[in-house]
Amino acid sequence: MSIEALIGTVELPDLSMFLPELSVLITAFLLFSVELFVSDRVKRNLLPSITAIGLIISLIAFIFSGQNYGDTFYGNFTNDGLATLVKAVEVITTLLILAFVQRYYINKASFYGEFYYILAFTLLGAMLLASSYNLIVIYVSLELISIGFYILTALLRGSFISKEGAFKYLMLGGISIALASYGAVFMYTYAGSLDLREILTYKGEDIHYLVLGLILFLIGMAVKIGAVPFHFWLPDAYQGAPTPITALMASVGKLAFFIPLLRVMPLVEERFAIAWTLTVGVIAAFTMLYGNLVALVQRDIKRLLAYSSIANSGYILAAVAVSEEIGVKAVVYFLIVYAFMSAGSFLVVALLERNPEWENRIREFSGLRFNAPYLAFAFMVYMFALLGLPPTVGFVGKALVFMSLSLERLWWLALIMIVSTGISTGYYVRLVVLMYMKEREKEVTVPPSGRFETLSLIILTLATVALGVFPAVVWGLISSSADALFMR
Amino acid sequence: MEVIAAKVPAVSISMLIPVVASIFVLLLKESYARTVALIGAGLTFIFSLFVLSAFDFSKSEKVQFFESYDILSELGVSFSVGLDGLSLLMYFLTTLISLVAIMWSVRDRQIDSRLKEYYIAFLMTETFLIGVFASWDLVVFYVFYELTLIPMLFAIGVWGYKLRLYSSYKFFIYIFVSSLFLLLGIVSTSVQHFLNNGEFTFSYFSLLNNHYPEGLEIFIFLLFFIAFAVKTPIVPFHTWLPDAHGEAPTAGSVVLAAVLLKMGTYALLRFNIGLFPEAALKLMPLLVALGIISIVYASWMTIAQNNVKRFVAYSSVSHMGFVVTAMFLLNLEGFKASVIEMFAHGMTSAGLFMVAGFVYNRLHTFNMHSLRGSIKFMPVFAVITATIAFAAMGLPGGSSFWGKFLTIFAAREYDYALALLVLAGGFFSAAYVLYFLKTMFLDVKEESILIHFKDIRGFKLTAFVMIVIPILIIGFFPHVFFAFFEESIRFILSNLLQRVM
Repeated sequence: MSIEALIGTVELPDLSMFLPELSVLITAFLLFSVELFVSDRVKRNLLPSITAIGLIISLIAFIFSGQNYGDTFYGNFTNDGLATLVKAVEVITTLLILAFVQRYYINKASFYGEFYYILAFTLLGAMLLASSYNLIVIYVSLELISIGFYILTALLRGSFISKEGAFKYLMLGGISIALASYGAVFMYTYAGSLDLREILTYKGEDIHYLVLGLILFLIGMAVKIGAVPFHFWLPDAYQGAPTPITALMASVGKLAFFIPLLRVMPLVEERFAIAWTLTVGVIAAFTMLYGNLVALVQRDIKRLLAYSSIANSGYILAAVAVSEEIGVKAVVYFLIVYAFMSAGSFLVVALLERNPEWENRIREFSGLRFNAPYLAFAFMVYMFALLGLPPTVGFVGKALVFMSLSLERLWWLALIMIVSTGISTGYYVRLVVLMYMKEREKEVTVPPSGRFETLSLIILTLATVALGVFPAVVWGLISSSADALFMR
Repeated sequence: MEVIAAKVPAVSISMLIPVVASIFVLLLKESYARTVALIGAGLTFIFSLFVLSAFDFSKSEKVQFFESYDILSELGVSFSVGLDGLSLLMYFLTTLISLVAIMWSVRDRQIDSRLKEYYIAFLMTETFLIGVFASWDLVVFYVFYELTLIPMLFAIGVWGYKLRLYSSYKFFIYIFVSSLFLLLGIVSTSVQHFLNNGEFTFSYFSLLNNHYPEGLEIFIFLLFFIAFAVKTPIVPFHTWLPDAHGEAPTAGSVVLAAVLLKMGTYALLRFNIGLFPEAALKLMPLLVALGIISIVYASWMTIAQNNVKRFVAYSSVSHMGFVVTAMFLLNLEGFKASVIEMFAHGMTSAGLFMVAGFVYNRLHTFNMHSLRGSIKFMPVFAVITATIAFAAMGLPGGSSFWGKFLTIFAAREYDYALALLVLAGGFFSAAYVLYFLKTMFLDVKEESILIHFKDIRGFKLTAFVMIVIPILIIGFFPHVFFAFFEESIRFILSNLLQRVM
C-alpha cells in the first residue's frame, strides 16, 4: 500500500469543532511553561492575565465551533448544541470566578503559580466531558477534572481542613471512577461498543447487562455530583477548599458531571425506562431530603451551602428521572442557572473571608446589611434564587422540574420535592432574616472589592434575576439543543 | 371568555407608578421618602379612579384593558393582564388600601428607622398586588402571588413588635410552602392541556375548557386549595395569621388583612371554582363545613382575646369563614355575598387595625382594657371605631351586612338548618364586637392617664375617613358595588353549570 493511499484512509479531524478546547489546551501549556521560567513577582500579574486572555479567546472560538455541528476524532468527540451551550457557560463561569482568585490567594498568603495551569486543565476536562459519548473519553475527562479538583482543593497553605477535604475527595473520587468504569465494562460486554449511543440503541438479548452497567455508571456519576448516599466527601471538600475553588466545584464541576447523565436521557428506551426512572428517582428523593435536613443544622456557611448544593443535585436528578424532552430541558436550564447561583453565593463568602476576623459562621451574618449593604443584597438574591422564589432563576428551574414530574405522573417525587423545598426555607430565609432583621453582633469591616470582582458579582446577580424574568434569552438554545438530542 | 384589548395600557401604568415612586425613594434623601411614597400611592389611587370611570360596566364579564406580551412562547407563558369586574373591584381595593396604609405610616411613630426600605416595601407590595388581581396567566399570577411575600417578610421582620422575627419567619414558611403545592397544581393543569391538545399553555382562557381524567381534577383542585386555604386562611390552616398580624406594624397589618387575605379568596373563586368546577361541586359539603368551622371557631377565639390586634386578627379569620362558606355554596347569592364580603372586610379590618395602631401609639400597649372610658376624651375616635366595628358586626347600614345577609339567603336555598348554622356564626360576631366596644370605650376607670390624650386628627383622621366612606356606601347603596362584579360571577356560575351538566 502506498503512503498516499494510507493517508487517504485517515480521516483528518475537523479542528474547527475543537477550537474552544484547543485554545484552553494551548493556554494551559503556555501557563505551564511561563510558570517555570518567570520570577515570582511577575507571575502574580502575568499568569491571571494569560488565563483570562486564553479563556476569552476560547469564548470567541465558540462562534466558529458553533457553526458546524457533528462528530469528529472518529466519533469520539461530538460537537452539538448542548455541548456548545454547556461549554460556553463553563468558560464564562470560570472567567467570572477567576476575577476573585488572585486577591483571595494573596490575602491568604498562599499564592501558587501552579494554580493557573491546573485550573485550565480542569476546565479542559469539563469541556471534554460535555461533548463526548465515548466511554473512554468520558473516563479520561472525568479523571482530568477530578485530579484537578483534588489538587486545587489542597492548595491552601497552612490549612488542615483543606488537606482533609482533598483527601476525602480523592478516596471517594477513586471509588466513583472504579464503579463507573466497572459499569462501562458491563455495557461494553452487552453491546460490543464504547459509544453510548450505540450501546443504548443496541437490541441485545441480555438486557440485564445493560441495566447493571447503566446503574453502576449512574452510581459512579452520583458520587461525583454528590448524590446521597455517596455524598460524604462533598461537604468536607467544599468547606476545606479555597472558596473560589468551592465556587468552581459547585458550578462548573456540577454542570460537567451531569452531562453524561443528560446524554443518556434521550436514549432511555421503553425496555429499561422503569429501571432508570426508579433508580434515579429514589436517589433524587433521598438526596434532596437529606441535603436539606442536614443543611438546617449547619453552623458554617460553606458547609451549609455545600449541603444546599447536595439538595439541588437532588432537584436536578428528579428531572433526570424523566427521560422526556421537557425533562432534558429542565435539567439543562437548572444546571446552567445553578452554576450562576452557586458561584455567586460562594463568591460573596470569598469576599467576606478577606476580613481576617471572619470565621464563616452563620451568626456572623447578623446585621450584614449595615456593614456591607451591596454584598448583603447580592447574597439575599442568591438565597431567594436557591430557595426558588420568583422571579429568580431558581423558580423557573423548579417549575420546569415540576412540569417534567407532572408529565410523567411522578406525584410522589413531586410531593417529596415540595417537602424538601419547604425544609430548605428554614435555612435560606434564616440567612436573610439574620442579614436584614437582626442587629449586628460585631463590627465586620469588609474590605472594598476590586473592579473585576465587583463586575463579576454584578453580572452573576443580574443573570440570576434576568434569566428568570426573561427565560426566553436562553430558552432558544436549550430548546434547540434538547431537540437535537432527541432527533437521533 | 372575551377580552377587550387596551387602548391605554392602564394596568401596566398603575403597576409602574409605584415602581417609579420607589426608585425615587431609593435615590432621594431619606427625609423625602414619606412625601414621595405618599405622592406615588396617591397618583396610583387617582389613576385607578380614572380606570374605574373608563371601565365599561355593561360588559363587566369581559376582560377589559387587556394586554399581553410573550415571555416564553414555547411553554405558553405570557404577561397577560386585564381587568374584568371582579378584578376591577380588587384592584380598586388595592389602590385604596395602599394609599390608606402609606398615609397612616406617615404619622406612625413606630416607623422611625430605615424609612426608605419601609416605603419601598409598601410601594412594591402595591405593584405586586395589582399584578395578582389583574393577571390572566397562571404563571404570572403565581409570580406576583409569591412576590408579595418578600416585602411583607421585611415589613413584619424589620418594623414589627416584640415577636417580629418569629412571626415573619412563620408567615414566610407557611405561605411559601403552601404555595409550592399551587405551583405543582399550576404546572399540572398546563401539562394536562399539553396531553389533551399537544401544547403547553398557562393562559386562563385556554385552561377554562381543559378536561381532566377522573380523580386528577380533584387532586389538582386540592393542590390549589391547600395554597389558598393557608392564605385565606381557613381553620385549621390559620395559625400563622394571629402571629403575623399581631406583630406586624399597623400599616403592614392593614395591607395584610385588607388585601393579602383577599388574594386567597379571590383565587379560590377565580381558579378553584373557575377551572375545576366538577371537583368544586364534589367537594362542596366538605368545603362549606370547613367554612362554617372557621366562622364559629374563630369567633370563639376572638372573644377570648385581650390584645386588640390579635382580636382583629381572629375576627378576620371568622370573616374569611363567611367568605368561604358563601363561595362554596355555589349559587349566585353565595358568590355575590362572598365578593361583597371580601371588599367589606377589606375596609373594616383595615379600619380596626388602624384603631389598634392608634391605641398603641398613645398607650404603648395593645391591651383593650387600658383604654377604658376613653369615649369622654376622644369622641371622634370612639365614633369612628364604633362605626367600623358595627359595620364589621353586620349591622344593617354597615358594609358586612350584605355579605352576611346574602350568605344566609344562599344557605337557605339548600337547607334551613344550614342557614341557621350560618346565622349562629353571625351571632358570635355580634357578641365579640359588642364586648370589644364595651371594653374599649364604656367601662369607666381612673381618668388620670387618659386626660392628656388628644383626639385623632390630621393624616390619621383622613385615613379613617377614606375607610368609613366606602363602608357606608356599601351599607346603603350596595348595588353600586354589585354592578362591579355581578356579570363576572354570573359568567363563572354559567361556566360551572355548563361544565357540570
